[in-house]
Amino acid sequence: MSDTLKSIWFAAITALLASLLLTGASSGLKEYRLANIKLDNQKNLLKSVGLIHPDVTYTGEDIEKLYRENIKSYRAGEAGDLVPETAAAPQGSPLFLYVKDNQTRAYILPVHSRGLWGKIDGYLAVENDGRTVSGFTVYNHGETPGLGGEIEKAWFQNNFRGKKIVDQNDRFVSVGIIKGKVADQVAAENQANFVDGISGATLTGRFLSEGLRDTLLAYEKVSAKFREGQINLNTAAAEKTSSP
Amino acid sequence: MKLTATKEFKALAEPLVKNNPVFIQSLGICSALAVTVQLKTAVVMGLAMTMVVAFSNLIISSLRNVVPRNIRMIVELIVIASLVILADELLKAFLYDIGKQLSVFVGLIITNCIVMGRAETFALGNPPWVSFLDGLGSGAGYSIVLVTVAFIRELLGSGSLFGFQVVPEALYRAGYQDMGFMLLAPAAFIIIGLLVWLQKALIKE
Repeated sequence: MSDTLKSIWFAAITALLASLLLTGASSGLKEYRLANIKLDNQKNLLKSVGLIHPDVTYTGEDIEKLYRENIKSYRAGEAGDLVPETAAAPQGSPLFLYVKDNQTRAYILPVHSRGLWGKIDGYLAVENDGRTVSGFTVYNHGETPGLGGEIEKAWFQNNFRGKKIVDQNDRFVSVGIIKGKVADQVAAENQANFVDGISGATLTGRFLSEGLRDTLLAYEKVSAKFREGQINLNTAAAEKTSSP
Repeated sequence: MKLTATKEFKALAEPLVKNNPVFIQSLGICSALAVTVQLKTAVVMGLAMTMVVAFSNLIISSLRNVVPRNIRMIVELIVIASLVILADELLKAFLYDIGKQLSVFVGLIITNCIVMGRAETFALGNPPWVSFLDGLGSGAGYSIVLVTVAFIRELLGSGSLFGFQVVPEALYRAGYQDMGFMLLAPAAFIIIGLLVWLQKALIKE
């Protein structure tokens, strides 16, 4: 056998062994990994409505319990009506309600935005007035650490709290990320609609702004109902019984 | 023969201080800047790195007489990359939060010159057991630097160690402030520079 052929065989067998090993490890650990991802997901959802305290360490059970007690899964129909999530053929766009003492405190929208390098997944929570942002979190992104990657940091996400998705005339405008500081760049009457950008991550900010806008637009009918005060848990429950 | 004179001992102990991969060989600086804001991430990164470099040395050394010379780099990379992916999978399964904080830097162990450097300069010319010890030593040498830098940065930058507050509340009330600069990458440069100076001053050739 020639040397070249021997080298090719050796490389092929090494690669095959390595890939078998990694496939085995990956599928063997899949269960743990998926469980962790689910927990992280739930944790971020809870964080968006302020149920996770930054200084407290939570176990998996703590998070599951908090989630079970406070968060309800719903689907939004085309007219902005809310239908509880049921196993059988869910229709409409998913969203979550933060329900406490039989009162809907906030609704949480899943955000799937484009980023600079890949998808950005997160949650945007809006308070039950349909106007005020309760929180924003990111659980998955591929942005550059230290630049666009700062979107997963508390200092950036905390800026969203209390911002408005409507302008002073109660018209929908979304909430956007600007380049630089809001205090320097935006007129006083519009400052409630913007958060500070990340230096070195202008594009990430632009894509995420678009993503947030698209998400909010898609659920605008739900937001409008919240603004008009038409949604509380009881009406949502009533719709549950009336829907087939 | 004294224990300290054996080849095994030298392989293990030399990279700890005397021939430290970060201080003397100036390798692995990038991740030493990135993951040393907190002790917790630094410790996990050090462990992952030690595991990868020790086992890559072991495997590459065991294969050193059968690998065809012309594709040895390819084989080394397959071994190293597989070990790194394995480390990443283990982190995702058992230390998800820390793995998330380490983000790309676990994957970037592949490009950490310490791993390739030890494989090329040591494992290819030495038997498996000694190479394994050399890998452990190099990984530990790297970890020592990481943990030292992280200790200083977390203590001065956040007033905590392993996430526990150690600077007393009374001190903050008296006007003490955390040094925000310590949380930024340039701080790690300065600390590493000072440590290199200290190491050279203490250990004369």
